[in-house]
Amino acid sequence: MKAIWTIAIREWRAMFLSPLAWTLLAVLFAICAYMFGSLVQQYLLRQLQYQAYGQAAMGGGMPVSEWTVVPLLGNTAVLLLLIVPLMSMRLIADEKRRGTWPALATSPLAPMQIILGKYLGLLLFLGATILLIAVLPASLFLYGQPDPGQFFSGLIGLFLLAATFGAIGVGASSATDNPVVAAVITFGALLLLWIAGWLGDSGAEGIGRLLGYASLIDHYEKFLQGVVSTADLAYFVIVSIAGLAFARQRLLAQRVEGF
Amino acid sequence: MSENMIEISELTRYYGLRKVLDRISLSVKRGEVMGFLGPNGAGKTTTMRILVGLLAPTEGSIHIAGMDALEKPEAARARIGFLPESPPIYDDMTVREYLSYLATLRGVTADRRKEALDRAMTHCGLTDMADRLLGHLSKGYRQRAGIAQAIVHSPDVVILDEPTAGLDPLQIREIRSLIRTLGGEHSVLLSTHILPEVQMTCDRVTLIHQGRIVVEDTLAGLEQRGQQRTRLAVRWNNTPGEKEILGIPGVAAATYTEGVWFITPGEQVDPVPELVRRSVANSWDLRELTPDAHSLEDIFVQLTKAEPDAASTTEVTP
Repeated sequence: MKAIWTIAIREWRAMFLSPLAWTLLAVLFAICAYMFGSLVQQYLLRQLQYQAYGQAAMGGGMPVSEWTVVPLLGNTAVLLLLIVPLMSMRLIADEKRRGTWPALATSPLAPMQIILGKYLGLLLFLGATILLIAVLPASLFLYGQPDPGQFFSGLIGLFLLAATFGAIGVGASSATDNPVVAAVITFGALLLLWIAGWLGDSGAEGIGRLLGYASLIDHYEKFLQGVVSTADLAYFVIVSIAGLAFARQRLLAQRVEGF
Repeated sequence: MSENMIEISELTRYYGLRKVLDRISLSVKRGEVMGFLGPNGAGKTTTMRILVGLLAPTEGSIHIAGMDALEKPEAARARIGFLPESPPIYDDMTVREYLSYLATLRGVTADRRKEALDRAMTHCGLTDMADRLLGHLSKGYRQRAGIAQAIVHSPDVVILDEPTAGLDPLQIREIRSLIRTLGGEHSVLLSTHILPEVQMTCDRVTLIHQGRIVVEDTLAGLEQRGQQRTRLAVRWNNTPGEKEILGIPGVAAATYTEGVWFITPGEQVDPVPELVRRSVANSWDLRELTPDAHSLEDIFVQLTKAEPDAASTTEVTP
């Protein structure tokens, strides 16, 4: 456990020592801030219309979370889909490419300890990222009454989603010694999982329903609606474990294949 | 104190269908510096990578300090320090951070860590560089940092893969004397294709060629082995004819180039005493009599050539 923490802290520090992490954070925050600003602006406009034309014209009430927090977190998920592969690509692939892997791999650690350490370091970074973005919708509490339950379940969902992205990223990073290839594999896998539900939505039976269940976005949307269910939690946990188990399998297989 | 700290037996490794190691056996005693010698691509790196657990062997067994390294890889690795061909260093860390990080991963507890770091840095001459970024250090110092990480957790066994490759002559000398001091405390396996390195640093030598162990001996033994069949270079003022030279007992063959006769001695009789006696008796005026192959270089060439059966079937990769 100590070794896992040691690797995690090292990894976390290394991320902040590289310009990549800072650049990604700055870009992400700028885009989110812009999105949030325009969402709030739209909300205010709708509120004027609501006051002018009444409840009937607007089809129900005007809960502030529905109009700001939910679309913001929904769009942030898309941004994370682009950003997490860039943060996870280095984790193992770069050690191999730079020749530092032997220092880790010849330490008395099981492969899973190295993987978990790297993963935990990534989670620390992603957690910090989400906390930073959470500042934006949290500011609404100063001026209005957004639904705190929905706010927190959305953030938990976003973190789980990012953690799942990261686990798949670790898996891809362990399968190659080229970080860019790892990023491309991660991005492709995530996008496929994202749209896996399309076949399910088309009403197909059997495999279609299964694919519908595999879809990342469907499970995430439940969290955005404020519903935290065991089924959705289990989905994220299972996919994450699968990503990390794949990483372990690759590392062990590479000892036999030899490279 | 003659227990074997490294014990490899019957190690075989395939890459696909290609056999890169063919039933290699090797042992290193406690405190000994073993030179692992062979041309590039002979299988040195593969053997070492298997030894430290980066590669799995196809067949064979490895014991590190009496522990089965294939059954208990983590426990065995705790006793090993490894320096790969290029030092595994992180450019964004200082020397101290780097050594502290790896010492922690290798189970050096917090209360002993400072002492372990100081010892490793002093040993490798890194104390003045402790707070410099590794990325800013010269190649020689990066190499030292690589060696420091291999000894920071006081392992019983230190494995160095071509530790002097790519260094300038002065750095090479420093690294070699550093390696020399590792013996005694650690058992060292050192791979190289540079022969003087072995002469300067090692107690024993194992020669590997095309995935097979060709010979394993002490340095003195290896030199003796080479000298038995060494040609003699002989120069006279009044050079005798070929017939007279071949007439000396113990001379198997003789060739003449640019004023020097190269004499190949026979298997049993040493031709030298009789050669000198006749030179004096016949007034040939002996000027020079030297063994032509006096360096390890020639032994190396001789021994690697003398394996015709292996060469045809095994192809070797680095």
